[in-house]
Amino acid sequence: MTALHADQLIDGYLARLRVAAIDLPSSVREELIEDMRAHIGEARGHEPAETDASVLNILDRLGEPTTIVGDARERLGIRPAEPYRPGLLEIAAVILVPFLWPIGVILLWISPAWNWRDKLIGTLVPPGGYIGLSFILAAATTQVSSCGTIRDQAGHLIQSSCTGSPELPGVLLVPLTILVFGSPLISAAYLAIRLRWRPRPPVAATA
Amino acid sequence: MCYIALVPADGLVSQMRRGALEYCVMALIRDTPRYAYELIEALGKTGLLTTEGTLYPLLSRLRRDGLVKTEWRESTDGPPRRYYELTAEGRRALTAFKNEWTSFRGAVDGILQEGTKS
Repeated sequence: MTALHADQLIDGYLARLRVAAIDLPSSVREELIEDMRAHIGEARGHEPAETDASVLNILDRLGEPTTIVGDARERLGIRPAEPYRPGLLEIAAVILVPFLWPIGVILLWISPAWNWRDKLIGTLVPPGGYIGLSFILAAATTQVSSCGTIRDQAGHLIQSSCTGSPELPGVLLVPLTILVFGSPLISAAYLAIRLRWRPRPPVAATA
Repeated sequence: MCYIALVPADGLVSQMRRGALEYCVMALIRDTPRYAYELIEALGKTGLLTTEGTLYPLLSRLRRDGLVKTEWRESTDGPPRRYYELTAEGRRALTAFKNEWTSFRGAVDGILQEGTKS
């Protein structure tokens, strides 16, 4: 008999341990995992004939990862991670991102309540918030309004031409305008929905 | 009476075992440095350590508190092993615990035996 699944069993155990220890300080977590790995290696060396059952027995004797991590927390005086509660910082960020983009974005990136993707969306949709939109629209209007006409001596129109983007059909213009002008608010609403209670970094008690 | 009823006997024993375990580990390395697996084998025979994995946070705590020091040594049959050895501070802590324990055990034994006589 051989242990056909020994590596998978051990990897699975260590993965569960890593998940259970996710909120421990990284130095404690890595040391714990390395200790367990060394222990398993040592215990395997003591088995006269390794089988899947003997590997499972080693892991059983080692204990449930949650039990070991709970014990580590207690022994090392590490308080369980408390969830991060969004507060004034997040409210200010949601309000300021559309209307006062530079300050809102700084607050958005300072806060741990959003993940990297949410922060990126909040920053770039639209870039600059209403301030950015006003600049973009001003630039677009200047470009569209640069039209020219050619008339004869009697004042009759011979040729009329405009440079820049072609005009959009009316059917598209209204929803597009709403979308563009509403996008900062949509972005703010998205950030408000995506607010999440994240674990704070664990705090180790000083002995 | 009410207070005693709130503390189940098995919970109390578990707490006592947990508290005494670190001193038992220190006693095991008082004279000879040992590696963790050796300690687990020794403790396993006594029934003091039911979950082997919990020894590692305990050793980590002892090391962080300066009660034990560690040294990696080559092994003839595998990767290097971390050996644990008692420090001078660890020796003092162990001696203090031993005195306290002897006194505590004597007091409790005396009362328990008196109680059975009356």
